[in-house]
Amino acid sequence: MNARPSETTGPRRIAAFVRNAVAAVCLAAGAMALPQIAAAEFPEKPVTLVVWSGAGGTLDTYGRKLAELLEREGGWTVKVDNRPGGSGAVGLSQIVTQPADGYSILVLTGTLTFGIAQGLIPFKLEDLRLLRAMQSEPSSLAVAKDSPLQSVDDFVAYMKENPNGLKVGGHSSGGFHQYMLYQMMQQGGFESGWIPHDASGKVTLALLGDHIDAAMMTPSTGLSQVQSGDFRLLGVTTAERSPFLPDAPTFKEQGYDIEGAIWRGIAVKAGTPDDVVASIQTAIDKVTASEEWKTFQQEQFQDSPNWGEAEFTERTRKDLEAQAEFLKSAGFLQ
Amino acid sequence: MDGIIQSLGVIFSLSGIAVLLIGALLGMVIGALPGLGPSIGLSLLIPFTYTMSPELSMLLMISLYTSAEYGGSISAILLSTPGTAAAAATAIDGYAMAQKGKANEAISISLTASTVGGVLGGLALLLLAMPLASLALQFGPAGYFAVGLFGLTSVAALAGGSLVKGLLGAGLGLALATVGIDPIAGTPRFTFGQFELYEGVPFLAALIGLFAVSEAISLAEKQARKKPLGKTRVGHVFLSLGLWKETWRSMLSGSVIGTLLGILPGVGGNIACWVARDYARARDKNPEEYGKGAANGIAAPEASNNATVGGALVPLLALGVPGSPTTAIMMGALIMHGLHPGPQLFTEEPTLVYAILFGVIIASLVQYLVGSLFLPIMARTVLLPEGVIAAGIMAFAVLGAFAIRNLMFDVWLTLGFGLLGYVMKKLSFPVAPVILAMVLGYLIESNYRTALVSSRGDYMIFLTDPISVLFLILSLISIMVPIRRAWRARRAASHSAA
Repeated sequence: MNARPSETTGPRRIAAFVRNAVAAVCLAAGAMALPQIAAAEFPEKPVTLVVWSGAGGTLDTYGRKLAELLEREGGWTVKVDNRPGGSGAVGLSQIVTQPADGYSILVLTGTLTFGIAQGLIPFKLEDLRLLRAMQSEPSSLAVAKDSPLQSVDDFVAYMKENPNGLKVGGHSSGGFHQYMLYQMMQQGGFESGWIPHDASGKVTLALLGDHIDAAMMTPSTGLSQVQSGDFRLLGVTTAERSPFLPDAPTFKEQGYDIEGAIWRGIAVKAGTPDDVVASIQTAIDKVTASEEWKTFQQEQFQDSPNWGEAEFTERTRKDLEAQAEFLKSAGFLQ
Repeated sequence: MDGIIQSLGVIFSLSGIAVLLIGALLGMVIGALPGLGPSIGLSLLIPFTYTMSPELSMLLMISLYTSAEYGGSISAILLSTPGTAAAAATAIDGYAMAQKGKANEAISISLTASTVGGVLGGLALLLLAMPLASLALQFGPAGYFAVGLFGLTSVAALAGGSLVKGLLGAGLGLALATVGIDPIAGTPRFTFGQFELYEGVPFLAALIGLFAVSEAISLAEKQARKKPLGKTRVGHVFLSLGLWKETWRSMLSGSVIGTLLGILPGVGGNIACWVARDYARARDKNPEEYGKGAANGIAAPEASNNATVGGALVPLLALGVPGSPTTAIMMGALIMHGLHPGPQLFTEEPTLVYAILFGVIIASLVQYLVGSLFLPIMARTVLLPEGVIAAGIMAFAVLGAFAIRNLMFDVWLTLGFGLLGYVMKKLSFPVAPVILAMVLGYLIESNYRTALVSSRGDYMIFLTDPISVLFLILSLISIMVPIRRAWRARRAASHSAA
């Protein structure tokens, strides 16, 4: 009957058009709304991992592995975005200027609390939800193989007799490694200077070249020297002996209550909804359960703290308080 | 021995040659673009290398690294916009030579010298890695300070006409180098609360601004005046026998200087090129030619900056410590493959180690091959209208500035430096001393203060450390040579007048 629609004109045609259009719009709206209701699954679009350091470093290596495994294990689409600068402040500001929807995830390290305490990172812990600490590495007291010092006690005894008698150095000024030395000074009751280096590799070179007598360093930065025996680790700041360094004694077993590690983990902007956070945590669980992650951690000589949000936040808060105290007494802060 | 044969098998396999060629092409383009140096090139490449074997991924990275170190000179010579920091020294004589209509010669010299430097640096790495590494260990903070000071004395050679203007430029550069977190006390200085400045004024922003942006403004201005273009004949890039004879000494001295400074972490190509140029100038019969298009003023820095590639790999392979930002990225890639660089790698993964060692040498040769095919085409950019070149430089300069840290802040900073550079050129202030002093300022300051911290305030550390003494004496010589020469010239002049 309706032979050629083009010939039908008049109000009836217009009414039909309006009706169809409304229906189409409703349908389209419904279709768009549908996946939100049905799936309600985070993420619906690519997620950005904002790494707060440049490409190629340890944090970046971790961030990229995480991205790869989130894609494979979690089915996400992930983009890695390196935002180095400002001791992490550049990356952090990138996160806090984005909506709190979980689509921008910050990949950060434990230098966060030092940065905040020193006033280098103009943000507060409360600006973030710290979701998971996935890697950690301790500090250690290292000497060259020809050093007469054999234990932490030897070191402490020598420094007590000869205040500032040894040149002690490590990565960064007022950071984690100096903080560990400070704790040793407190407990051992001695005085020591600190020779800061702007890259961890330079600490290795300085110790090898006898430009410093002892270093506070992450064992993995001098890995080949530790393995070859060129460096001797007098004490490691883990609670128990690390499976990667079974021969290196801890501070604890030598009677010093010194424990600390620099963590690497992820955070999102404060105010990110709980259901989104839950979806992220589920995906991270899949990653940490995978064989590939475990192998990766082994190869990288990384401990896996795997702190969830509550523990991670609590530890970080405590770290911040203790480090602010250290920075004040070491003269970094007024 | 098996490792050597297997590594050569990898290099000369189809995929080995393919990645070397791809790396060379990419490297040349990335190096030629202002701001996108070897380290940005490698970080863009990293995700693609995960699926490759460690040997192939290293070959690809080395090839890109080598060619990017070289590629920076292409734009330095043709457009006075050095693509990398290490090419800034080449820009001075290279651009002057190209402006004389000898772009082709300038490019042949730079390609040949880069190849020679790359091969010699690679040979040093292959044969002398262990002794060179123990040499690097001799450098303490006092030694690094003295090396930095020695580098700074080459300002005189860059000043061109007026030493005062050169020194003012260097002063500006040193002042800019104090911006950022204090290396010892850890507190921010002169940052005006901008956390974008905590790591200091980004060196690349100054480089791109002072050289590239200012040049684009000048070119646009020339176009407005409808000044005709200089004629440039573009042909093959094979170096004539005459030029070989003229430049081989600077290529050799440049290679040695590049290799030696390349092994020092934080020193590398940024400084080696200036020192090599200064050395060649001091030895030259016609030092006044430098800055006006001297062949040796191209050959020396070019050889040295490619020789630093081999040098920078020395601490990585011999000690497991990266010697430059670029080698730090390569270390990251190796770690991604579950490998930890260091001396034990020689026994654990001999094929990989020899692939790297031979890779450096062969990558330089591949660079020569790709360059000789590619450069005559690239050199044609100088035939474009100046307005087009100016627009192109501006586009790439802004892209490069943004690529530093993906911050608009850096783009504005770069444009600011561009205006500064333009004004400096108008007042005939050389911009190179600013760049040199910015690179060296941090090295000098941080090591000076670290040395004093470790000696607990005793200045004698600079005179008891043998390396420090050596370089302080060299600095003194480097300052005295031009003064003595000027004095002699004046005496000769007064003699002839009398």
